Amino acid sequence: MSGSLQLAPLLRRYGTFLGFLLIVSFFWSQRPDTFMTTRNWLNITQQVSILCVISFTMTLVMVGGDFDLSVGSMASLSGMIAAVLWQQDVSLFGALGTALLVGAFGGVFNGVLVAYAGLSAFVATLGTLTIFSGLALLVSNGKTIFGRAIPEIVGDFSRGGFPLAEEIQLPNLTLIGILVLILMGIVLQHTVFGRNLHAVGGNREASMLAGVPVARLRLIAFAVNGVGAAIAGLMLVSRLSSANPTQGDGLMLNAIASVFVGMTMSEEGEPNLFGTLTGVLILGVLSNGLTQLRIDTYVQQILTGLIIIAAVLFSRLSLRRR
Amino acid sequence: MRQNLFIFTGILLLALPQFLFAQSRTVAVLTPFLAQPGTQLMVEGFEAAAKSKGWQVDVIDTSGDVAALVSRMEDVALQKVDAMVINVDPSQIRNGLLAAKDAGIPVFGMDSGADPLLTANVTSNGYVMAAETATYVVDQLNGKGNVVMFIFEPYPPVQKRGAIAESIFNNEPDIKIMEKITPSFDRGPLEGARNAMEAVLTANPKKGSIQSVWAAWDDPALGAEQAIRDAGRENEGIVIVGIDATEQARDRIAARGNLKATVAQDFTGIANTVANTVEQYLKSGSVSRSQIYVSAKLVTADDL
Repeated sequence: MSGSLQLAPLLRRYGTFLGFLLIVSFFWSQRPDTFMTTRNWLNITQQVSILCVISFTMTLVMVGGDFDLSVGSMASLSGMIAAVLWQQDVSLFGALGTALLVGAFGGVFNGVLVAYAGLSAFVATLGTLTIFSGLALLVSNGKTIFGRAIPEIVGDFSRGGFPLAEEIQLPNLTLIGILVLILMGIVLQHTVFGRNLHAVGGNREASMLAGVPVARLRLIAFAVNGVGAAIAGLMLVSRLSSANPTQGDGLMLNAIASVFVGMTMSEEGEPNLFGTLTGVLILGVLSNGLTQLRIDTYVQQILTGLIIIAAVLFSRLSLRRR
Repeated sequence: MRQNLFIFTGILLLALPQFLFAQSRTVAVLTPFLAQPGTQLMVEGFEAAAKSKGWQVDVIDTSGDVAALVSRMEDVALQKVDAMVINVDPSQIRNGLLAAKDAGIPVFGMDSGADPLLTANVTSNGYVMAAETATYVVDQLNGKGNVVMFIFEPYPPVQKRGAIAESIFNNEPDIKIMEKITPSFDRGPLEGARNAMEAVLTANPKKGSIQSVWAAWDDPALGAEQAIRDAGRENEGIVIVGIDATEQARDRIAARGNLKATVAQDFTGIANTVANTVEQYLKSGSVSRSQIYVSAKLVTADDL
């Protein structure tokens, strides 16, 4: 009896992670030669790295009790701005810096609308989603920028990496994902800002009464998320060696889905980085494994959606039972 | 003895499927554009051709997401398929092409674009398509009249069409290009072209001042036709032509209004040629040409 009591919270906490391990074991058993190889896992980490960055900074916003629909179009916009600047012979770092600044500015704009003007995060970021997406189309005239306009080093960056062994390297994009994970981990767990942000997300009124600068914290979280989206946009340009005014748009839903899946891995249902990472990996491993199993791509989409719902439902039910 | 026979039969049974399927090839078809009618026709055509050759085909669609397509190419490369067929601009999926190259898998473009990393690309010749409609206009006008052109410079495949039509019109001494318009995309090119054509009609109110509208694709042709009808000038004999043979354009051509012709890409022909090219490569390890053109066909009311 006492054994089952101890097992229940563990299952609640790590049920989703267990699900992830089950998915991995299933693909491993089905594709023993190709799935559980270093090469494939490095591929997977590279494939999810862009989503990782955007989801980790999204976790920050969601810890504060908000969310941001504009990240995908911000990724498109910042990538497009860098590409347009390169096309006009602006230096490599000049363009990268400008793109990151645009991300920060867009994030601050979101933050002002939500934290100071009092708009709901849904409405405000839905509005800025449309604005950023229009701006991306405007600066690019709707066209894709590719070829010589993108500096060679940008495309080469995503093909390069930190050598691990002969012919095996930790991809640069994966490295960026890990760096952002560590950085966000430090910010959320080991700074006053992070602890206060958790308080804001937990109970906004109480935090305000306790003297926590609620509006400022929410604004900063949005600003960081804007920069995260810009980094993701630039990573996308590197991976595709081209910039397209809509190429980041799909990131938003997956980022929010990853954070939601991750929330099932906390006792109180709070967003947390380890959970988000698990969420991202579930999405990445499903795409990779189902492709290797030659499952129809439309069926893949349905399965992915069902698994997200199942994860959240499972955690909801186990919370209710508590 | 009996035991040996069992073992022998067992081995035979185990080996039989491998023997039977030893010749079976697997080809992955990857595109972000399966929702587009043209892509659908090509993929279906390729599947049919591949079936007749006894190949297994895996179709992967990433619903507009080019980055996901690169990821799926990496996954497929690990699966060691015999070939990949793509329908996407190759300049945007360099990492995927390099993953295929590293794995030694040939990649074939199905109406994509030329790229040194592709073993071959099969497509329609944009220059020829534009020449078909431009010469049709010249013929209908008996080499004399004013032409309004709808072009789009930013997109290379469409820019090509405009360049070739312009040189054909310029080569005719009695044909005058009165306007070259890039339609606004704000509310779609059809609406943009309609507004622009309304302005041209207002600026040229005299009957018979415009003989033809040449459009680099069907949407502006349809928009121009609507503007001409709305202005009540559909009986002036203005000849409109487009390119791509969309369903809507075919309808309007069949209605025998001002829209007289368009050009249809032979998507099934492209798919068959890709399948044959893949087969040639798998047999001999090389292809005769890396850029292969399939003829497109002028479509007029008589064809519908």
